[in-house]
Amino acid sequence: MLFIALFPATLGKISPYYNTVLILVGIYVILAVSLDLLIGFAGQISVGHAAFFALGAYTSGILTAKHGIAPPIALLCGLFVSGLVAWGIGRAVLRLKGYYLAMATLGLNAVIVKLITGFASLTGGASGLLNIPPFRIFGLTLQDHTYYYYFVWGIVILVMTCCLALAKSPFGSTLIAIHSDEEAASTLGIDCPKYKLHVFVISSMLAGVAGSLFAHFMGFIAPDDFDIFTSILILVMLFLGGVGTIYGAALGAAFLKLLPEVTYRFQTYELFFHGLILILVLIFMPKGLLGILTNVKNWLLGSKYLSNPSSLGTDP
Amino acid sequence: MHDEANRYNRVHEKHLLQVDHVSKSFSGLTALLDVSFGIERGHIKALIGPNGAGKTTLLNVISGILSPDSGHVYYREKDLTRLKPHEIAAQGLSRTFQLVRLFTANNAKVLDNLMIGAHLKLKPSFVKSFFLRGAVHHQDNVVRETAYQMLRLVGLERVVVDYSPSSLPFGNQRLLEIARALMSEPEMLLLDEPASGLNDAEVEGFKQLLLTIKKKGITILLVEHNMKLVMDVADEIVVLNFGRKLAEGNCKEISSNQQVIEAYLGSDYINLAGGNLSG
Repeated sequence: MLFIALFPATLGKISPYYNTVLILVGIYVILAVSLDLLIGFAGQISVGHAAFFALGAYTSGILTAKHGIAPPIALLCGLFVSGLVAWGIGRAVLRLKGYYLAMATLGLNAVIVKLITGFASLTGGASGLLNIPPFRIFGLTLQDHTYYYYFVWGIVILVMTCCLALAKSPFGSTLIAIHSDEEAASTLGIDCPKYKLHVFVISSMLAGVAGSLFAHFMGFIAPDDFDIFTSILILVMLFLGGVGTIYGAALGAAFLKLLPEVTYRFQTYELFFHGLILILVLIFMPKGLLGILTNVKNWLLGSKYLSNPSSLGTDP
Repeated sequence: MHDEANRYNRVHEKHLLQVDHVSKSFSGLTALLDVSFGIERGHIKALIGPNGAGKTTLLNVISGILSPDSGHVYYREKDLTRLKPHEIAAQGLSRTFQLVRLFTANNAKVLDNLMIGAHLKLKPSFVKSFFLRGAVHHQDNVVRETAYQMLRLVGLERVVVDYSPSSLPFGNQRLLEIARALMSEPEMLLLDEPASGLNDAEVEGFKQLLLTIKKKGITILLVEHNMKLVMDVADEIVVLNFGRKLAEGNCKEISSNQQVIEAYLGSDYINLAGGNLSG
């Protein structure tokens, strides 16, 4: 936390480039954490999270670039549109389970990208949407990346706090019940379709916020930013960091976004090392990066925590 | 609505639950055929029959997991037939499963399982979890206290509530599932072979538990293979065979019923029942 707060004043001063990298890290943290609510808690696999990222980005982008609406309002509109689409689609799609749900969300992602490309007059089509203004709030333009850095990370911390509170609440327990066994959950009075829809909408709304932040940061967005590979990237971040812990998702997003900053030094072998590290992590750390950190913490604190197997991977 | 009430009155007034001419088949294979019986409030009714007789299917029909091809299930004055499982649970019917189904995703603990069991009391929602956290917190504490009470009731007071349920011995997992079913303070409990896999000492303890639950005024429908347990606790017994009702009556009537004995012939159950009769 302290590191995040002090970064722009210290290292960021030396190289402003890292501020921009960390803004992108923040945006992906929101995406991975929101997907964790859906996959890690409710157990509903989505391979189309970038669709809602796109809806947030394009809603915000179109409203500000073409209609001159203030960015904070556009952000809320992006959140609303993502949530509304999720609500409409979720009612049908969430009846599916497992691989079928994964395929349907994958298809949804493809359809959204196609629609964006098709409605060129509105979205700029394949060549992208230009001239999205930087974020302005209370008359203050957050053009300077340092300000925007604090704005984005403020939202990241807000989102994470909310998600952690939600995970610990009875609402979170209900999602875990649905994740474990829908039929058993329903005989305890849990209306599974309702809860699945709610978490799908919440998760998509947060992805919409990330999209809006992304659009105002980049100033230019294109359909390629939101294709299926982006969805898979978010999914990999989640599994890399550790599913169902919120912290793990954040860690995975940070790790995967920062990894190229290290591997680019290998130049020709960049992709090779990138892939190698991913494979090693997934083979040797089934509980993700967070699982390793927890093991180290337990080791440092002494063996009494290790005697309780269920404490692994539950807290940071 | 009037028709429904009339029909209900016609079938039986004293029954809390009434299974009324229920039939169910799976792609041509008959699982239940025209099964009818009732359960009086406060009684323990045992549902027995050889493997494949349709006992679990009937339990699934009552709890709404399956819907019958024809026939009705009435609970108090209400027709449960077209309700969804969670709506039926909300009427005050709770159940356990033949193969224990505890929640284990995301390192869910023993206590989490019990708290989820209280879903109908907590009615958690996204909005409540955010904006009414004080109230939710208070409610949580009340429910947590109930959870410890239920653990004591089923004899699991020594279990560490922060452990994963899968770390418990099998018998304790069964008891935990019953404690979870009791968390919603149901009026009626459907138990699917709760004593299978328990050793003799555990069965004895379980018998006492059933009688304690009965004393609390909870009506029980007990699907069970252990005839000694059934004979010891049941007020009435209904026997299914090949999806049809074979017999219904008190323990004495059932254990001397020629058809029932034939249905069980060659199996061990009759020996147990016989042993119980001679003793």
